[in-house]
Amino acid sequence: MPDHTSNGMQCHEFDSLVSDMLDSVLTGNQLDRFQTHSRTCSVCGPLFAEVTAGRNWLKDLREVEPPVSLVNNILASTTGVDTQRLRVNMPARQTRVSWIERAQAWASGAMQPVWGTVRQPRFAMSFGMAFFALSVALSVLGVKPADLRQISLRPSAVRHAYYNTQARVVRYYDNIKLVYQVQAAVRELKRNVTPAGSRPAESAPAKKDHKNDTTQQPEQKQDRNYSQNENHLILACAPLGPSVFDRLSPDPPNPDRFNPDPLNPDLPVVSVTTYRRFV
Amino acid sequence: MLVRRCVAGDAAAWEEIVQTYNRRIYNICYRFAGSSDDAEDLAQEVFIKMYRTLASYDSSKGAFVTWVTTITRNLLVDHFRKTKQDRITDSLDATSSAHEDAQPLSEQIQDQSAPPDQRVRSREVQESVHAALARLSPELREAVILRDLQDFDYREIATVLKVPEGTVKSRINRGRAELARLLQRTYRQVM
Repeated sequence: MPDHTSNGMQCHEFDSLVSDMLDSVLTGNQLDRFQTHSRTCSVCGPLFAEVTAGRNWLKDLREVEPPVSLVNNILASTTGVDTQRLRVNMPARQTRVSWIERAQAWASGAMQPVWGTVRQPRFAMSFGMAFFALSVALSVLGVKPADLRQISLRPSAVRHAYYNTQARVVRYYDNIKLVYQVQAAVRELKRNVTPAGSRPAESAPAKKDHKNDTTQQPEQKQDRNYSQNENHLILACAPLGPSVFDRLSPDPPNPDRFNPDPLNPDLPVVSVTTYRRFV
Repeated sequence: MLVRRCVAGDAAAWEEIVQTYNRRIYNICYRFAGSSDDAEDLAQEVFIKMYRTLASYDSSKGAFVTWVTTITRNLLVDHFRKTKQDRITDSLDATSSAHEDAQPLSEQIQDQSAPPDQRVRSREVQESVHAALARLSPELREAVILRDLQDFDYREIATVLKVPEGTVKSRINRGRAELARLLQRTYRQVM
């Protein structure tokens, strides 16, 4: 603003009194000097008119009603402290995040696919079974979790543990072998000591087991009625005397052989041989 | 007293504060930001900030309303700086839909008896002044809003803006004059 002097008042003084003039606090001589300067100064006069007009425009500007939901939103957000604008500004705040948090965020992003697989029930079941099997194996081997704390990873200690384990396994195997040998010797001793007549009695329980046979195979007893073995032919009608086979045979006739008609031992008989085949 | 109760954990006191100051804060935000959506978000943010820092209020340093307005002004300045790049600089003729949302309730009630053309003209004037206000520089705008729309005295404005009273008066006069020039230019073009 140019600093003119008009009617005893400079322009910068006039500028500082404009607000007071509009607020109607200027009185007396000061008011007269202000009004005179406003009329005579070509710069301050229009300026005062513009300031007055601007204030009148602003007087017409009425207060607006806030949204009905504003109070509720404020009360809700002051408890939760979360607004759309705050959410938008979140990336700007992330610049202050420490490197540990960044690493955690990166790790969580990288582990997301793995974690998605792990969370499947099938995988959880497999993991549970594997854990169970491992724990059973460890308990069988005599490994206790409390012992893990005392494990020394020095090379000499590892070597010592290796040899100890190896010795334990060998001892265990030898003990089992000894048990089997003793059992076999005892069984052999029993067999030798037991009399021969009582042996079939030993097989009685084996016969009882045929009741539980579900293989649908015929019992061996049936075979014994017709043949002693596969190569022995069974005659449907045996001759009274020595059969053709007996005559051809170099051995003397067997008196114990079965003869259905002992009164007519020499009657010629046509023999028909049937084969009972078992599949 | 209300602040002490609120700091002590009285929820009713906090609600009373919100009820008392939400209108004033919303209007400052609306006139400064220019849109009702921004004003709502900003007002909400002001109250959140106020809620967090209520314990730091010292009554010996000034009135509670001055403290609240200072928080509002600081947040508005931050918002202005953040949105400086993408701020809309439409002409005064452009009519924002936000202005239609912000139709004063008092105007709607009072103007029911006025002729329709007068109501329309009054509404147009409101929108023109609002748009012209948005085109002022932030320093001039905040001073004009606090003085002519919120009726703060110069000392309070000086406290809020952290500038001498003389600077406040100068900014207010320059703001008013600039606003008048903008509106005269607009209506001259319309005429």
